[in-house]
Amino acid sequence: MSVKDNAVPAKVLVTKIGLDGHDRGSRVVAAYLRDAGMEVIYTGPWQRIPAVVALTQEEDVDVVGISSLATDHLIVPKLVRALEEAGLAHVRVVVGGIVPDDEVATLQERGVSKVFHPGSSREEIVATVQRLAQEARRERPEI
Amino acid sequence: MSAKAKSAQLRLPGFDSAQATWQTEYTSHMRDDPPVHNRSGIEIKPLYTPDNWDSARYMEELGFPGAAPMTRGIYPSMHRGRTWTQRQLIGYGTPKDYNRRLRKLMDTGVTAVSLIPCNSVYRGYDADEVDTELLGTCGAVVNTVDDMLACLDQIPIDRVSTAMNDPLPFTLLAFVLGAAKRRNIPWTKITGTSNQSDYISHFVANHMFLRLSLPGNRRVLVDEVGFCQQHVPNWNPVSIVGQHMQQAGATPAQAMAFALCTAIQFTSDCIERGMQPRDFLPRFTFFFDISLSFFEEIAKFRAGRRIWGRIVRERFKVDFDRAFRFKFHSQTSGADLTRQQPLNNIARVAVQAMAGIFGGTQSLHTDAYDEVLTTPTEEPSRIAINTQNILRDEAHLTDVIDPLGGSYYVETLTNQMEEEIEAVVAQIDALGGMYRAVEAGAVQRMIGEGALAFQERIESGAQKVVGVNAYRIDESAHAGPASQRPESGSMEAYLESLQTYKSSRSRSRVQAALSDLQRACNTPEKNVFEQVVNAAVAGLTHGEICACLRRELGFGQPLIIV
Amino acid sequence: MSDVSTAVDRLVGGDKATLARALTAVENARPQARELLAALQQHTGGAHVVGVTGAPGVGKSTLCNALIREWRARGRRVGVIAVDPSSPLTGGAVLGDRVRMHEHDEDDGVFIRSLAARSNAGGLAASTTDVITVLDAAGMDCVLVETVGTGQSEVDIARTVRSTVVVSAPGLGDDVQAIKAGILEVADVLVVNKADLPHAEQCARQLRAMLSLREVRAWQPPVIMTSAQTDQGLQDLADALQRHNDESNVEDAAHGSIAFADWPQRLLPRDRFAQHLGIELLAGGGGHASVRMRVQAEHISFNGTCHGGVTFSLADTAFGLASNSHGVVAAAIDAHITYPRAVRINDTLTASAVEESRGRRFATYRVIVTRTDGATVATFTGTVAIIGDKQNRDSQK
Ligand SMILES: Nc1nc2c(ncn2[C@@H]2O[C@H](COP(=O)(O)OP(=O)(O)O)[C@@H](O)[C@H]2O)c(=O)[nH]1
Repeated sequence: MSVKDNAVPAKVLVTKIGLDGHDRGSRVVAAYLRDAGMEVIYTGPWQRIPAVVALTQEEDVDVVGISSLATDHLIVPKLVRALEEAGLAHVRVVVGGIVPDDEVATLQERGVSKVFHPGSSREEIVATVQRLAQEARRERPEI
Repeated sequence: MSAKAKSAQLRLPGFDSAQATWQTEYTSHMRDDPPVHNRSGIEIKPLYTPDNWDSARYMEELGFPGAAPMTRGIYPSMHRGRTWTQRQLIGYGTPKDYNRRLRKLMDTGVTAVSLIPCNSVYRGYDADEVDTELLGTCGAVVNTVDDMLACLDQIPIDRVSTAMNDPLPFTLLAFVLGAAKRRNIPWTKITGTSNQSDYISHFVANHMFLRLSLPGNRRVLVDEVGFCQQHVPNWNPVSIVGQHMQQAGATPAQAMAFALCTAIQFTSDCIERGMQPRDFLPRFTFFFDISLSFFEEIAKFRAGRRIWGRIVRERFKVDFDRAFRFKFHSQTSGADLTRQQPLNNIARVAVQAMAGIFGGTQSLHTDAYDEVLTTPTEEPSRIAINTQNILRDEAHLTDVIDPLGGSYYVETLTNQMEEEIEAVVAQIDALGGMYRAVEAGAVQRMIGEGALAFQERIESGAQKVVGVNAYRIDESAHAGPASQRPESGSMEAYLESLQTYKSSRSRSRVQAALSDLQRACNTPEKNVFEQVVNAAVAGLTHGEICACLRRELGFGQPLIIV
Repeated sequence: MSDVSTAVDRLVGGDKATLARALTAVENARPQARELLAALQQHTGGAHVVGVTGAPGVGKSTLCNALIREWRARGRRVGVIAVDPSSPLTGGAVLGDRVRMHEHDEDDGVFIRSLAARSNAGGLAASTTDVITVLDAAGMDCVLVETVGTGQSEVDIARTVRSTVVVSAPGLGDDVQAIKAGILEVADVLVVNKADLPHAEQCARQLRAMLSLREVRAWQPPVIMTSAQTDQGLQDLADALQRHNDESNVEDAAHGSIAFADWPQRLLPRDRFAQHLGIELLAGGGGHASVRMRVQAEHISFNGTCHGGVTFSLADTAFGLASNSHGVVAAAIDAHITYPRAVRINDTLTASAVEESRGRRFATYRVIVTRTDGATVATFTGTVAIIGDKQNRDSQK
């Protein structure tokens, strides 16, 4: 198509679902993505899943990043399903935070593209999100 | 040359020439000597001498333990007389699960009850209002007086102190009081602390508040202080949480300053409502993070003690030593722990704990090494407590009071931290106090910058972290501990019992308590917390009480600063 | 092609997913965007477009949230465009305005879209006009555009919307002085927010005094005190906006000055040279225009590629149509072109002109010329002087 895909900034939603409120990680990550030239929609904690779906759709984001420092990752599979049901299967979902090793596999089986653990480098986060955004773009209809 | 340096020279023949020699040799050894700064931004020199701190200032700056200026500790005997309270914060599963775990921990040396409730409680909802998958995964599900009775089954709450991670509107305290009533224990015998009463720190750092408006929080806190003063005199109604601020990215100096400013705010609010600081200040407590920046943390605590004493005496004109004792609980910082090579965390926690002990803490929680991997499991939790036992019983860290007092470095650093903290306090004062500053987002902005700056230091390698950006090993094959989740079916059973509880209550009693609560909210002279206690006793659940307050006192939104 | 027409059907029929993707397409100036916008024109005009501007911290987002609530109570469907600045260094942005409109996230009658201003320093994203067009065509009754007040953006926004709300609040230091005379000029409604705080009344009095110094006009901007926290004054604000919309409609009808989105369609046939080159119009109106032509044998230079003058002419045509699309005569006074890639015979070239700024006397445009494969073959910038005469509407006959 005409404009090169990477000429348009990746659009990423950085949010927190569930019950925990620790948002230091999500703020740092939002700043990383912004500084890498992406457009980041940032929300406060405690978003409900239907609200995240609506937001993903209205803002037409490529990647949804969920920060989970307590156990909120346990409901991420619900979010993935809700996105699929809303016709947003192309949107990539990533999780960052504290996820026990044995639950990483479960998340990936249920459609999470990547789990970032504490200590993930800025480089790794930016490159992965950038790549996932391009994948999502390619799968999504133009209009 | 300053006057104090001169005095040191006069007393110490040969000082000058020896210092000059050392300086020359030091410089010739150090080819590359970049400046070193601690987390609060203070430059750290290679050597401290009487040039930096002179014991002539001993009485003015240190004095003796238990007396102004309190630098060396708030009690005359400090840890030599009575060691800190070993308070491991726990909370998990259903009330029964919690009770089982608590009793086991008490067998291993834990000397006080602590309770972390499920995040649904922090948010202000009952268990049946949130995603079932999340229930009990990071705290115990407690929604009613019955739940509290089950949590505290066979625990002598008239003898052990019960710290509740109790966010506003203090329903957990209300449930404890309800439980005491049922067990015929007079409220005057109930001791402990409302650990999470500091809505300001929640609003700023953790967003851990129950979504009640800021003015609503402000009112209920003052009401709780008033109520406890009258009815539960041995309860600490307020714990000011510098820990949240530091975990969210504040420097140690900022975190101390924000906590002190919050304490000033709460004190002023209580005074405005007609209370006497002499009566309520002795029951104010603090809660801090202990990072790995060992000397900086020790200096933070020593400086904080000194400043709080001065604030109480000078701002609030109280000259009553119990009122300006700076009592604090501390917790080793989870932000310093790493997922990589997790057993290294045991060493980190030991050093953090030492900083807390040398800093003169009254109560200590040591993190389990698997905290960054999962909700702490049993063996790591036991090692965490034993770390405290080893430091006390094997390493004899408690034999001497304030053992680092008089160190040229520690005293200099204490003075510098004091200056740094005072500067932030002045900044907040200029913004109209802590309440105004957080309402406008000023504190949030300061913290956000700090978090990003610290992360940048790790990214750039300026701050080494073992296993993360230094001394790495290939850990791809290494799996962490298995996650521990409430037994399947246990939450469904709990939800059923909650349903039964709700339907078996006296309708009219519940209704009457609810309208009393409502009326109190809308009558400024009434005490809202008194009605929270009545409502709990009458059988209302946590979620019902919170919903009423949100309706009557306003819904709270976090202030997101991006 | 049929992609676009089905998209139009779905979008006009209220499909949110299509709406979201269409907004992305126009925001990113995707190839279909011009065609889409042209096709959507006939479905527009139903929305009352309201701009909200003011200094940071006066409570714009919170006020928008409350206004949306009020409109929803009146049964209106609401589209919201929240414009945030982009970093001039990296182009990245954190879009946080909708945080305060969170309560409407799950409401089907509200559609909120964040826009990064990207390179546009004025505070208004370059694509704002197009985004409004799309939301309007999607059947929104009200479209709210929130921008951060930077001085220039107030003027930008006023040009783009029907009703401009300028927000101020007490307690921001030199609050009222901050409302410069120029900003007062563009305000259709003045709001003093945070009426629950002290000195709000004083702030309102000062504004009224400043207004009274102006000559009397048909529409006198009301000064409304609101509290986004207690909802005080929100009904008054919605009422005032309604009145402004009604009166503007009457005025437009009387003066016959309704903006004609179809100016480019009327003007192109009069352009003899463009006719000669075989240039056709794809879309145009409201400051932009897209045209197309096919490169023929007679356009080839001695190098065997398309003559630069031909590409220039195509770009210049788009520029001319866009700059004259407001129905006011504009004359080019400067133009500049660069040719990053060659064009060959049989290539179809598309030139899209967008307005970068428009002041009272001058306006600037940027034109991108693309090849069949989508590659950019020329970028063109041009400035016009606005002569100010009304365009003669009927001379096409
Ligand atoms: N007291 C009061 N505060 C308000 C009101 N409206 C907004 N605020 C507060 O003002 C601050 C800035 O609001 P925001 O909507 O982000 O302002 P913006 O930068 O203009 O979009 C926030 O803390 C709001 O809660 C109001 O009517 N009264």
